[in-house]
Amino acid sequence: MQELQWGLPVIGYLFLAGVGAGAYTVSSSVLLRGGGGGFSGDHFNIARYGALLAPIPLIVGTGMIILELETFQTAVAHGDISLLFRWINLFLTINLSPMSIGSWVLALCIIASVGYAYTFLSKESADGDDKNGLRHGLAWIGVPLGIAVAVYTGILLGAMPARPFWNSPVLALLFLVSSLSTGVAGILLLRALFGKHHKAPDGETHDASHKTASRATYLLASSDVLLIGFEILAIFLFILFANLTIGNPAKAVSVILPGGEFAAMFWIGVVVIGLLLPVLIELRYVIPTLLYHQPYAMPRGIEVAVCAVILIGGFMLRYVVVVAGQITGPMGI
Amino acid sequence: MKATATAISRRDLVAKIGKGAALVAAATAVPGKAKAALAQRAVHYAMVIDARKCTGCHACSVACKAEFEVPLGVHRSWVEYVEKGTYPNVSRNFLPRLCNQCSEPPCVSVCPTGATYKRKEDGIVVVDPDICIGCKYCMLACPYDARFINPNTGTADKCDFCLHRVTEGLEPSCVNTCQGRARIFGDLNDPNSEVAKLVATEPVTVLRQEMGTKPNVFYIGADHSDENDTRVPGQYIRVDTHRPILERR
Ligand code: SF4
Ligand code: SF4
Ligand code: SF4
Repeated sequence: MQELQWGLPVIGYLFLAGVGAGAYTVSSSVLLRGGGGGFSGDHFNIARYGALLAPIPLIVGTGMIILELETFQTAVAHGDISLLFRWINLFLTINLSPMSIGSWVLALCIIASVGYAYTFLSKESADGDDKNGLRHGLAWIGVPLGIAVAVYTGILLGAMPARPFWNSPVLALLFLVSSLSTGVAGILLLRALFGKHHKAPDGETHDASHKTASRATYLLASSDVLLIGFEILAIFLFILFANLTIGNPAKAVSVILPGGEFAAMFWIGVVVIGLLLPVLIELRYVIPTLLYHQPYAMPRGIEVAVCAVILIGGFMLRYVVVVAGQITGPMGI
Repeated sequence: MKATATAISRRDLVAKIGKGAALVAAATAVPGKAKAALAQRAVHYAMVIDARKCTGCHACSVACKAEFEVPLGVHRSWVEYVEKGTYPNVSRNFLPRLCNQCSEPPCVSVCPTGATYKRKEDGIVVVDPDICIGCKYCMLACPYDARFINPNTGTADKCDFCLHRVTEGLEPSCVNTCQGRARIFGDLNDPNSEVAKLVATEPVTVLRQEMGTKPNVFYIGADHSDENDTRVPGQYIRVDTHRPILERR
């Protein structure tokens, strides 16, 4: 097998930037839709989890990608301070390279998400407080910025004819949907772990606040079902079109098709664990509410597990895509 | 040879090239005509590699290594061996490789810092090691695997058509050393140059033409088959790249 140019730091970065961008976008749109989106009184709480989450994976992921820069590695290996901050050169210019545009968008997204998180920092923060204007302004910016970061991670890989596995417009769509889905999973996970309204459904807390809370998680979980549905569609299109394009893309995509080097990891890790398992569990709890208007009640343990497998699946997707793209290339010479 | 390694810095190109030139004083004769022509019009450097004349001796690989003190394990220039057939109908062909100095270079279009750029004056694609951040995007974008990270600088590196030599009117080091005259270098814009004549009259091919990169390294008699062609029943093909990565990518 060939050596990899982009290894775990880039895989981790693509995944974490996706989670952060997804969480920022979801949080902003939930905040902007307000109670009108069916979230009743709880939209602010959900937006708060997303806002506090978003900057962390964005910043950690960006830190990881600097580790992958060869100038940084050389600086550490040779003790050469002058190379340590060579990455600043990214911000001394702007050109049409997806990485150049992406770096600027990512930097803006990090700044905006930190500001957005700041408006939610206080425990007393509520709709209509003194930071409301700033909060809404940053939410308006957050939707397009988050989507831009998520899409750019796909374009970054997709821009090269020399890497036929990645060279597909569907990849950007796939990464966008996966970002939103992992962003929702991140928010639901925080909520399940730290949420105070969220008592076990057999407890005696069937009061109003519990109802709004579970209504809100129901809405997020059901939109997650929809997102996972879209993701399965995007994966289907990704494989189908690569396979239909006889030659380089078909040869490249064969590494994730039955018999390929990454088939098991892709179908078990990404599709079964990351998509089918969570969507089936979520449906099990969403359908009774959807069809029979029963109260939505997913036990906390299951909620945590569902979010965890969605996040694992998101990571596996980045892993398989990044590695498969590098071990495949054009045929012939 | 630190001075030559940085000779392509945009910041003080002239001064550094002066230093680089001093280091290569003992090289081959200057084609005076070419040097005079340089000053007047845009040059379009190209190489023709006549694979029929290559004996796989690796003199070019070694000359290039020596010229740039290319560290162990990485190569600006290398020679691939293509073995094919089933005994007794077998053949072994050689494919000398280097950066194609593409006219539509994907390495340039992905470089986020502008460290990689195509020189307007002669079409050579260069990396400025003072700007490059070592992100490796260009290495993934190049369809020819022509790039590597120089372990001394942590920045991208590759063949630059011996910029420090050709701007002085010298031939590239690999061309200078090739005992079979398989490598021929010159200016495509000069209709009387050997490369221009060969490209005009010989059935030249380029590598991976479908990538749309418009390479400026042309081959005569190159064997374009690789392992993927073993899909033809009974066909045995083995490609040996003489690089740490034994497969092409
Ligand atoms: S061969 Fe590769 S490195 Fe050289 S100019 Fe073409 S794309 Fe760039
Ligand atoms: S490694 Fe250097 S030359 Fe290559 S794309 Fe990155 S900054 Fe540009
Ligand atoms: S032209 Fe110079 S740098 Fe390029 S392969 Fe030949 S010797 Fe090496």
